[in-house]
Amino acid sequence: MTTATHAPRLLPEFRMTGNGFRTLVRTQARLLWREPAVVLSGIVLPIALITVFGFIPAFGKPSAALGGRTTLDVYVPTFAMLSSVLTAFTALPVTFADLRERGVLRRLAVSPVPAAGLLAAQVAVIATTAAATAASVVLIGCGGFGAALPAHPLTMLASYVLGTTALLALGLLISALAPSAGVATGIGVPTMILNFFFAGVYVPLQTLPHVLRTISGFVPYGAIVDTWSGSGAAWQHLTVLAAYTVVGALAAARVFKWE
Amino acid sequence: MAAIEVRNLTKTYGDTTAVADVSFEVGAGEIFGILGPNGAGKTTTVECISGLRMPDGGEVRVLGLDPGRDREEVRQLLGVQLQESQLPAKIQVREALELYASFYREPADVGRLLTQWDLTAKAGARFGKLSGGQKQRLAVALAMVGNPRVVVLDELTTGLDPHARRVAWEMVEQVRAAGVTVLLVTHFMEEAERLCDRVAIIDAGRVVAVDTPAGLAARGPAAGQRMRFRPSVPVEDALLLALPEVRGVERHGAYLEVTGTSEVIGAVTAYLARRQIIAAELRVEQSSLDDAFIALTTHTAAAATADAAAAAAAAAAANDTAEES
Repeated sequence: MTTATHAPRLLPEFRMTGNGFRTLVRTQARLLWREPAVVLSGIVLPIALITVFGFIPAFGKPSAALGGRTTLDVYVPTFAMLSSVLTAFTALPVTFADLRERGVLRRLAVSPVPAAGLLAAQVAVIATTAAATAASVVLIGCGGFGAALPAHPLTMLASYVLGTTALLALGLLISALAPSAGVATGIGVPTMILNFFFAGVYVPLQTLPHVLRTISGFVPYGAIVDTWSGSGAAWQHLTVLAAYTVVGALAAARVFKWE
Repeated sequence: MAAIEVRNLTKTYGDTTAVADVSFEVGAGEIFGILGPNGAGKTTTVECISGLRMPDGGEVRVLGLDPGRDREEVRQLLGVQLQESQLPAKIQVREALELYASFYREPADVGRLLTQWDLTAKAGARFGKLSGGQKQRLAVALAMVGNPRVVVLDELTTGLDPHARRVAWEMVEQVRAAGVTVLLVTHFMEEAERLCDRVAIIDAGRVVAVDTPAGLAARGPAAGQRMRFRPSVPVEDALLLALPEVRGVERHGAYLEVTGTSEVIGAVTAYLARRQIIAAELRVEQSSLDDAFIALTTHTAAAATADAAAAAAAAAAANDTAEES
């Protein structure tokens, strides 16, 4: 909580014992994994999708329309990213809004936990879950069904990591503000659909007008997909993603509402 | 040093003045009650003390610290049980205690807290499955988990059945026995009378009285005592009314109801004893805190309406004072 009597500060207060942070991460992990909806969308769905796609023979054949790549090749990164997108825009904001609505955050506010610590612990849990799911998707797709590994693994990895942090930072910002689970869904889901649109999930990006394609490079999921497809400069997309991460996380910690 | 000091606290939400002018001091080791009708500003006052809200004017100190400026330090020393605050439905009792314990520099032992608050059997149960009484026991255990020096209990017993309420009262006494200062917010007179060393009555955002429960009761309109009994031999009213302590005598069948000053019981029983009359089924009632409360709060409610403008001016003045200091 900031007030007029305090000097404004850029970095939010973050003083927590190591034990406090670890216990918070452990508890939030347990609570998250006790939510069937989160486990289904964040872990089961991406792994199930890549497995089903892997078993469809036609998806393993190179296609001229995809520039000689197979459908499976194209979908490995998309599904790898799915866990991050779904949890960042649904699980994360809805969890926080629900905690806020039930007064759980109000109780935490009178304990020594700083808002930034609470958000960081939740992000740590979701990012770890998403990363493990993404690794499983790549392992199943490439290792199990022989999908091609990315041509530039390091760029790919960087875009995945920065992409996930950018998505989570946006999710955090929604989490920090949405007063109820309903509002969180109301903001989170359209944001997610917008991201899907600019990532070419609904309509291939190649068919979009030039203006929309340019915008796509500045929407998190769009920037991630652009990095993978090699459209535009990778450093530019990575910068966009890093900016989302930093600005989103700082803003979230500053505007965080306990009730 | 006082455990809690509140001086000329004001807090407004838009056009609504939640707290117009509240001042009181809680001494170390006291159980101090805040009593008032719904919407009197009790919770807002507590929220300012806990650092959940910043006062618009006036000062709040907890162990000499400002809950806004010395946020971290106050949170280490102040345990809080809040109204309308919950835990995640799926967290287990032990997990909740261990989580909160990890936030404090010198936490209490979780196993001991479970035993002390009779939660050992429920250690693995999820919060959502607990009864109202169990949730309140956990709330108090959580308020105590940081080994606080001051604890705020906001409407601890609201919504509890009479048995659970009595258990909660024992908990409050246990908390104090551990050397912790208690600020107890309630709207039950009986609770304040039973537990509190001193009580502040708040109405329409102002403190209307601070005193011991007995002291407040004595301010009531019918201060004094009332006794009811069945005399073994008929007694004439006039003989009792002749006693200086007696104010009134009423008959209800075979029963007599005598009212009078605080010494009326002694005077009447001594008189009956001299006449060798036995007072069967004797019941004594004190003029209660209830009467005093109603008298004090209805009075200010009327005054507050009349002085709405004056209240606003006072709030503005309090703001100015706060800025100067």
